[in-house]
Amino acid sequence: MIIEDERALSESIATYLKGQDYICETAFDFNSAVEKTELYDYDCILLDITLPGGSGMSVLKTLRENNKTDGVLIISAKNSIDDKVEGLVSGADDYLSKPFHLSELSARVAAIIRRKQFGGNSIIQFNNISIDTRAKTALVNSLPLELTKKEYDLLLYFVSNKRRVISKNAIAEHLWGDEMEGNLDFIYTHIKNLRKKLQEAGDADYIKSVYGMGYKFTDS
Amino acid sequence: MKLLARYNRFNIAATVLVLLLGGLCYYFILRYVLIHQLDKDLKVEEQEVKDYVRLNNHLPNAANYKDQEVIFEPASNTAIKRKVFSVNLYDTAEEEQIQGRRLIFGIQSGGKNYTVSVTKSQQETEDLIRLIVILTLGIVLLLLIVLFIINRFVLNKLWLPFSNTLQQLKQFNLSNTTAINTGETNINEFKELNAAVTAMSNSVLKDYSALKSFTENASHEIQTPLAVMKSKLELLMQGENFSETQMRYIQQIQEELSRLSRLNQSLLLLTKIDNQQFKDTEQVNIANTVIKYLDNYEELISAKEITLSKTISGEIIVLMNKTMSEILISNLITNAIKHNTAKGTIAITVDENRLTISNSGTALNSNPDELFERFKKDKVNSESLGLGLSIVKKIAEQYHFKTSYRYQDGLHSVSIQFK
Repeated sequence: MIIEDERALSESIATYLKGQDYICETAFDFNSAVEKTELYDYDCILLDITLPGGSGMSVLKTLRENNKTDGVLIISAKNSIDDKVEGLVSGADDYLSKPFHLSELSARVAAIIRRKQFGGNSIIQFNNISIDTRAKTALVNSLPLELTKKEYDLLLYFVSNKRRVISKNAIAEHLWGDEMEGNLDFIYTHIKNLRKKLQEAGDADYIKSVYGMGYKFTDS
Repeated sequence: MKLLARYNRFNIAATVLVLLLGGLCYYFILRYVLIHQLDKDLKVEEQEVKDYVRLNNHLPNAANYKDQEVIFEPASNTAIKRKVFSVNLYDTAEEEQIQGRRLIFGIQSGGKNYTVSVTKSQQETEDLIRLIVILTLGIVLLLLIVLFIINRFVLNKLWLPFSNTLQQLKQFNLSNTTAINTGETNINEFKELNAAVTAMSNSVLKDYSALKSFTENASHEIQTPLAVMKSKLELLMQGENFSETQMRYIQQIQEELSRLSRLNQSLLLLTKIDNQQFKDTEQVNIANTVIKYLDNYEELISAKEITLSKTISGEIIVLMNKTMSEILISNLITNAIKHNTAKGTIAITVDENRLTISNSGTALNSNPDELFERFKKDKVNSESLGLGLSIVKKIAEQYHFKTSYRYQDGLHSVSIQFK
């Protein structure tokens, strides 16, 4: 469920997430947001704070008052600590400030949905790679892979955005927090290491470099 | 030099001069008047002698009083010129030389010519004048003492509203948004000054807050189009069959977009710090934060083959906002990585109250004093925004930490003194 009044952005998110095999619905204002969230249950709600007709925060509060357990990811242009704290206290699962990378959004959505699957499985499977998100380990052909924390994060990020081109900026921001200034060549070294480890474990080379733009994790 | 001191210097000089000149004039006028009076007395005496002679046709007895002496001397000729003049006398009683006035005139008595000399002592006059001089000097001295006391106590008190206002002006700080509050005064000049200062500070604060909210609003408004552009570009990137040129264009757009978004974030952050939106504080261990961010940027450091050395000899615990401390430290560390040379060095030292981060690099072309200013970058084409260190400075200012920069032996060192 995408609650975002900026139609162009809402459309981008929907297109990207549909490409990740999610089913998306959209709401552009407060009233339709409240209406839809009351009627249906969603795995994850992307919630903008500033909506025409009301605050996204009230949508969240109403939701939690009705004991709904939908995952909520707040997307806000404000990037204010207070909003973030208020959002998380009111029961949001995560907070992402605009402008964000769609790949980052997709990874966060995947994480929320994973956490929401009660007693469910914390294992993500991609061909012969399986990632245990609870133990934070990865197995290739059932053999454990020795990964550094950042390599694990990178692998998870790739799998969460499989078959998509991810920009170097998005990777840098995901792994090191901020958007990086200047030369991003160090990412190449990092990816090379991960690729080597995967190949040594007997896996196919899934990481494809897309000239100039970034990388793609794909089996096709 | 203080206004008061300079004013006093003129004031006292003029007072002393006028008093001395006045005293001098007084002295001469008085002397003239008194001698004139003496001469008159002599004339009276002359008349008395003449009247006596005319009545009795013989000379009176030469009578000497304390300060008057009449002497008759026989004279050969009749034409004795009458004159009045000053003489030096010897006072036998006091055994000292004194001044006197003497009148000489001729007189006929019993067919004989006499010269009469009447002398009056000037002693009393001199005494009077001396008293006056002493009095004048006394007044001068008294005046000086009074002026000194006035300056010392009264004037300082009079100027108190001024020094209060000045103190307020010195403490005036745009970021703490409190207008200048001048004290009450009933002196017109100070009232006017206070009114002007208050009006100025209010308008400055108003303009400043308008500017701040403009920056904040503009930054917020920019976020949404940036988000849309970023998302559309990412969708575009998923397309197949791009030519190499097209891919290069996409990459370039993406880089610039990311730069714009970084710029916007940094400006927003600066505004937020200005607006004191990071209020929650907690005890932050600086050394731990440094270690955390060194770990985070480990890959960046090793990618540039930078040799890292850290010396932690003390523990700095400061009460500050955690996010701010993280921004402060991570900015300093990324700065040291970014502006480093390949295979360079980074040295980090933490002691009881100071954090120093040094990195190898070429000397600055620009003025080191401007290093912490916004948009100051050493190289024109640098990818850096030039906001990192100004954010560091802003945070440091917020908590009254001292920042300093030094370049020595090919090492740039930025230090933060926490206490």
